[in-house]
Amino acid sequence: MSDEKNHDYHLVNPSPWPILTAWGVFAMAATFIFFMHEMGSGLFPIIALVVVCILSFFWWSDITDEGETQGHHTPVVQLHFRYGMFMFLLSEVMFFVAWFWAYFDAALFPNELIQELRVEYTGGQWPPLSVRTFDPWDLPFINTLVLLLSGFAVTWAHHALIHNERKTVIAGLSAAVILGVLFTILQAIEYSHAAFGIADGLYPSTFYLATGFHGFHVIIGTIFLFVILIRTIKGHFKPDHHFGFEAAAWYWHFVDVIWIFLFIFIYVLGAGDPATMPAEAH
Amino acid sequence: MAVFFAISGLFSTSLALAGENDYGIASEWQMDTQAPATDLMANMISFHNLLLWIIGLVVLFVTILLLIIIFKYNAKANPVPAKFTHNTFIEIVWTVLPIMILVVIAIPSFDLLYKQRVIPEPDFTIKVTGNQWYWSYEYPDHDDIAFDSVLIPEDELQEGQLRLLSVDNEVIVPVNKTVRLIVTGADVIHAWTIPSFGVKIDTIPGRLNEAWFKANREGIYYGQCSELCGKDHAFMPIAVRVVSDEEFAKWVEEAKVKFASAPSIQQIKVASFSAAE
Amino acid sequence: MATDTAHDDHAHHTPTGWRRWLLSTNHKDIGTLYLVFAIFAGFVGGAVSMGMRIELAEPGMQFFPWIAEYIAGADDPVNAGKHLFNVFTTAHGLIMVFFMVMPALIGGFGNWFVPLMIGAPDMAFPRMNNISFWMVPPAMLLLVISMFMDGPSGFTGTGGGWTIYPPLSTSGQPGPAMDFAIFALHMAGAASILGAINIITTIFNMRAPGMTIHKMPLFVWSMLVTAFLLLLSMPVLAGAITMLLTDRNFGTAFFDPSGGGDPILFQHLFWFFGHPEVYIMILPAFGIVSQVVATFSKKAVFGYMAMAYAMSAIGFVGFVVWAHHMYTVGMDVDTQAYFVFATMVIAVPTGVKIFSWIATMWGGSVEFKVPMLWAVGFIFVFTVGGVTGVVLANAAADRIMHDTYYVVAHFHYVLSLGAVFGIFCGWYYWFPKMSGYMYSEAIGRIHFIVTMIGVNLLFFPQHFLGLAGMPRRYVDYPDVYAGWNMVSSIGAYISYGAALIFIFGVWKAFRDKVPAGNNPWGEYADTLEWTLSSPPPFHQFSTLPKIK
Ligand code: HEA
Ligand code: HEA
Ligand code: CUA
Ligand SMILES: [Cu+2]
Repeated sequence: MSDEKNHDYHLVNPSPWPILTAWGVFAMAATFIFFMHEMGSGLFPIIALVVVCILSFFWWSDITDEGETQGHHTPVVQLHFRYGMFMFLLSEVMFFVAWFWAYFDAALFPNELIQELRVEYTGGQWPPLSVRTFDPWDLPFINTLVLLLSGFAVTWAHHALIHNERKTVIAGLSAAVILGVLFTILQAIEYSHAAFGIADGLYPSTFYLATGFHGFHVIIGTIFLFVILIRTIKGHFKPDHHFGFEAAAWYWHFVDVIWIFLFIFIYVLGAGDPATMPAEAH
Repeated sequence: MAVFFAISGLFSTSLALAGENDYGIASEWQMDTQAPATDLMANMISFHNLLLWIIGLVVLFVTILLLIIIFKYNAKANPVPAKFTHNTFIEIVWTVLPIMILVVIAIPSFDLLYKQRVIPEPDFTIKVTGNQWYWSYEYPDHDDIAFDSVLIPEDELQEGQLRLLSVDNEVIVPVNKTVRLIVTGADVIHAWTIPSFGVKIDTIPGRLNEAWFKANREGIYYGQCSELCGKDHAFMPIAVRVVSDEEFAKWVEEAKVKFASAPSIQQIKVASFSAAE
Repeated sequence: MATDTAHDDHAHHTPTGWRRWLLSTNHKDIGTLYLVFAIFAGFVGGAVSMGMRIELAEPGMQFFPWIAEYIAGADDPVNAGKHLFNVFTTAHGLIMVFFMVMPALIGGFGNWFVPLMIGAPDMAFPRMNNISFWMVPPAMLLLVISMFMDGPSGFTGTGGGWTIYPPLSTSGQPGPAMDFAIFALHMAGAASILGAINIITTIFNMRAPGMTIHKMPLFVWSMLVTAFLLLLSMPVLAGAITMLLTDRNFGTAFFDPSGGGDPILFQHLFWFFGHPEVYIMILPAFGIVSQVVATFSKKAVFGYMAMAYAMSAIGFVGFVVWAHHMYTVGMDVDTQAYFVFATMVIAVPTGVKIFSWIATMWGGSVEFKVPMLWAVGFIFVFTVGGVTGVVLANAAADRIMHDTYYVVAHFHYVLSLGAVFGIFCGWYYWFPKMSGYMYSEAIGRIHFIVTMIGVNLLFFPQHFLGLAGMPRRYVDYPDVYAGWNMVSSIGAYISYGAALIFIFGVWKAFRDKVPAGNNPWGEYADTLEWTLSSPPPFHQFSTLPKIK
C-alpha cells in the first residue's frame, strides 16, 4: 500500500498473540477437564495457565509499546479504549447478575411449598436453618473498609497523576495494591473459618461462588494495579494521557461496587439470627 | 368469551383439514390436533383454530402483497421506481392494526390460561413421578394404590397393543371426574402429557407441580414423555384409560390386591440424588 | 506526532501467506476466516441433521444403531444408538447456532461490512478481533471432542440437548463429555463478548465524518443492536454454565434439589440468554435484507427511522420475554400471563419491519437478481415462522405444542429458513465485493429454488407432526407419524443437495473469475462499500470519506 494514512486510527500489525492465546485457552480448558475427572495431572492446566499469562504479558507489552514509544494511541484510539473498557465492565456486571440471580432465587423464595426439597433444605427460611453465617460486622465489615480505602487510594493517586505528582501517585497506588492484597488475605482467613464447606448445599454454593468470583476479580484487579504501579515507576503515564491507569481504576471501582452489593445483600441482609443458628463448627 | 369460542368453533368445522381425528392417538397423515377428551382441550382447539385463522390471514396478506410486487413492480412492468420513503398514516396503521389483532388474541388466551392453571376442586388426586425411564403412579385417595407404568417392548406386544404407546399398567380414571395430578421427578426432568386432555406438565425433581383434567369421554388416551430425559426419552409413554364409575370402583378393588402383592411398588419418593454420583 | 511515527513501522505492509491468515489484524481477512469457518460448520451441522433425518425417515430404529455398531463399535447398538441420537441433536443445535449462524452473520458479514459501511479503515481493536475469531475453532473442537468422551455411564457424548438442562446435564451425564461442551460454550461466548465490544466501539467511534447515527445503513444498526444483546446476555449464560460446571465437579448445589437448589433456576438463566440469542441470530439478517431490498427495488428504504427503532425495540423487549420457553414448568399463572403479553408485543415492531420492507418494494422497479430472491424468500418464510411464534407465545396454546415438532417447525422457519436465507442473501449480495468475481446467476437461482422447495418440504410438515402430538428429541416415534416424517426427510435430503449446489456455485465463481466491477448493482447500492474496488484494498479509506 503506497497511499498515506490520513487518519488517527491505529492499524495494528499482524500479531501472533491472539491465535496462540486462543489455543492456550483451549489447552487450559481441556487439561482442566481431564484434571477434574482424574484423567490427568493438575500440573497441566497450571502450565497452560502460565502460558496464557505469559502470552497475555507479551500482548499487553505490545500495547504499551505502541502507546508509549510508537505514538499510536491518538486521542481517538484512547477513546476506543474507554468505550472498550466500559463495555467490558458492562458485560462483567451481567456476569454477576447471574450469581445474584441464583442468590436471590434462593434468598427471596426459601419457602415456596411446591419446592419441596428446597424447603426441606432451608427449613423454610433464609439463611437456611442449618447454616451458621458470618457475622457481617466482623471480618466482612473490616474487609469492606479495606476495599473502600483502597478505592480511595486509587482516586488519590489519580488526582496526583493529573497534577503530575509522581511520588504521590506511587504512594497511592502502592497503598491500593497493599490493601488489595490485604483484602485477599482477610478473605482467605474468613473462608478458612467458615462453618460450611462448598458442598454443603445451596447457601455455601451461592456464597462461595459469588464472593469467590468477586475475590478472583480482586486478584486480577490487584495485579492490574500492580502493573500500573510498575509502569508509573518506569515513568509511563502523563497527566493528560494515562488510559491504562484509568482502566485499572475503573476496574477497581467496579470490584468495589460489586463488593458493596455482596456485603449488603449476602452478608448483612442475609445474616439471619445468630441465636437460632447451629453452633460454631470448630 | 363464549362468543369467541363459538366463532372459532365455527371456523374449525369449516377447517376440518384431515377429516375426523381419533381420540387419544394421532392418525396417519393427521394435520391438526388430536380430538379433545376434555372440555378444556375442546376450548384449546377452538382457540388454536382462532389463532390459525389469524396467522393464516396474516401470512396470506403478506404473500398477496409480495405477489403484487412480483407481478406489478418488477423492473419490466415498472421501469421507473417511485420515490416515496414515508407515509405516516400507513405506518400508524400497520402498528395499530397488529396491536388490535393481538388484543383479540389475548382476551381468550388469558381466559383459557386461567382455566388451565387455576385448579378446580378435585374429586381425587393422583401422584405422578417421572423416572428414567418409566412412570410411577400413586392414588393417595384410594388406599395408596401404587404402581409403575412401563413401556411394553416391541417384541412383547399383544394383539391390539401399540408400538411405543402401550404400557403394562395404565392409569385408570373415572369419566367426568376432576382429577388432580401432583407430579414430580425422581432423577431428571420429564414431562407428563396427554394431548387429548390438553395437559402438559414438567415433572421436576424437588418440585411438586400440579395439573388437572376432567375427561368427558371413555376410552384410552396416550401421551409421551415431553422433556428430554436421556437415552430412553422416546420410550416412556403415558396411557390413561377413562372408564365408567363402576368399572373404576372395580379396578380400585382389584388394584389394591394386585399392586399390594407386586414387589415393584414404588412409593412416591422424591428425588434424592447428588450431582456427584 | 502520532502519524509521523506510524509511518516508520510496517503497518502498511500487506502480510502474505500463513502470516496473513493466522496473525491477521485486518477486518476483511478475519471476516473471510469467519465465513469460511461458517460454511464448514454449516456442512458439518447439516450432515449431523441428515443423520437425524435418515433415522427419522421411518419408524423404528435403523440408522443410529447401525452407526453405533459399525462405526463406534458399541456392544449394545440399540441403546448406544438411542443415546447417539441425542448426541446428534445436541451437536446439531449447538453447531448451527454457535458455529454457523453467529460466525457467518456477526463475525463474517459484521466484520467485513461494518467498517466498510461506516467509512472506517478497520475495526477499533484489530488484534482483539483476531482472538474473537481464533477462539471459535478451538471451541468447536472442544464440542467435537465432547462427542467422543464419556457422557452418561456407558455411553459417549453429551445428549442433553442444546439447552443442557440440569439435572440431565449434571447427574444425568457424569462423564467429561458435558464439561467439554460447557467449555466449548465458554470459549464461544467469550469470543462473542469480545466481538461485541469491538463492534460497539467501532460503530460509536469510527463513523466517517458526517455519518451521524441516523445516517448509518440499517445493516450497521442491526449489528449495533445485536452487539448489545450479545454483550448483555452472553455473560449470564457464562454464569449459568459455570454453575453447571461447579455443580458437576465441585459439589455445589445450584441446580441440585437435594441441596436446596433448583433445576428451574438454570432454565431462567439459560433463557435469559437464550431468547436474546434468537434475536442475535435474526437481527443481522434483518439488516442485510434491508440493504438488499432497497438496492434491488431502486428505492430508498421506507421508514428508515422506524426500521432502526423497531430493531432497538425488538432487542429491548427481547430481554423480558424469556420464560415463554418455560410455560410447562409450573410457573404461577400470573407470571405466565405476563410472559404471554410481553412476548406478543414483539410481533408489533417485527410487523413494522415486514411491512416497511414491503413498502420499500412497493412502487419500486424491482430486479429479482439472486440476492433479491433470497430477500423476498426471507420475508415470506420469516413471516411464517414468526406467526407460529405468536401461536406459541400463548401459554394456553403452547400447552399442547411445547416440546413437540411444532416448536421445531417454528424455530427452523425463523432460523434454518430465516437466518440462513439472510446469510445467503448477504452472501450473494456481497460476494462480488468480497471476491471481486461475479457468481453465476443461473446457479444462484437454482440454489434458491431448490433450497426453497427443500426446506419447506422439510419443515412445513413438522407443524402437522407437532399438532398431532409428536414430541421432539425422539429417536423413534409411533407409526402413525410415519407419513409426514418421510416427507420431511425427503425435504432434508433436497436441502442438503441445495447446499451442495451452493458450494458448486462458489467453486465455479472462483474458477471462472468473471470480474464484478466496483458496483454491480447500480446506483441504489449507495452504501460506502460500493465506492471501493472489488475486492477492496487491504486498507481502505486511508483518507476518510466525508458524508454530506
Ligand atoms: C431466529 C430465531 C427466532 C426468532 C426470530 C423467533 C421469534 C419468535 N419466537 Fe421463537 N424460538 C426460537 C427461535 C426464534 N424465535 C428457537 C430456537 C426456539 C426453541 C428453542 C428450544 O426450545 O430449543 C423458539 C421457541 C419459541 C417459543 C417456545 C416454544 C416452546 O418451547 O414451547 C416461543 C413461545 O412463545 C417462541 C415465540 C416467538 C415469538 C413470539 C417470536 C417473534 O419474534 C416473532 C415475530 C414475527 C412475526 C409475528 C411475523 C411478522 C409480523 C407481522 C407480519 C405483523 C402482524 C402479525 C401479527 C399481528 C401476528 N419461540
Ligand atoms: C440455525 C440453526 C439451525 C439450522 C440451519 C438447522 C438446520 C436443519 N435442522 Fe435443525 N435444529 C436447530 C437449529 C438449526 N437447524 C436447533 C437449535 C435444534 C434444537 C436442538 C435440540 O433440540 O437441542 C434443531 C433440531 C432439529 C431437529 C429436531 C431434532 C430432535 O428434536 O430430535 C431436526 C429434525 O429434523 C432438525 C433438522 C434440521 C435439518 C434437516 C436442517 C437442514 O436445513 C440442514 C441443511 C443445511 C443447511 C441449510 C445449512 C446450509 C448452510 C451453510 C452451508 C452455511 C452457509 C454459510 C455461509 C454462506 C457463510 N433440527
Ligand atoms: Cu422422560 Cu423424557
Ligand atoms: Cu424465545
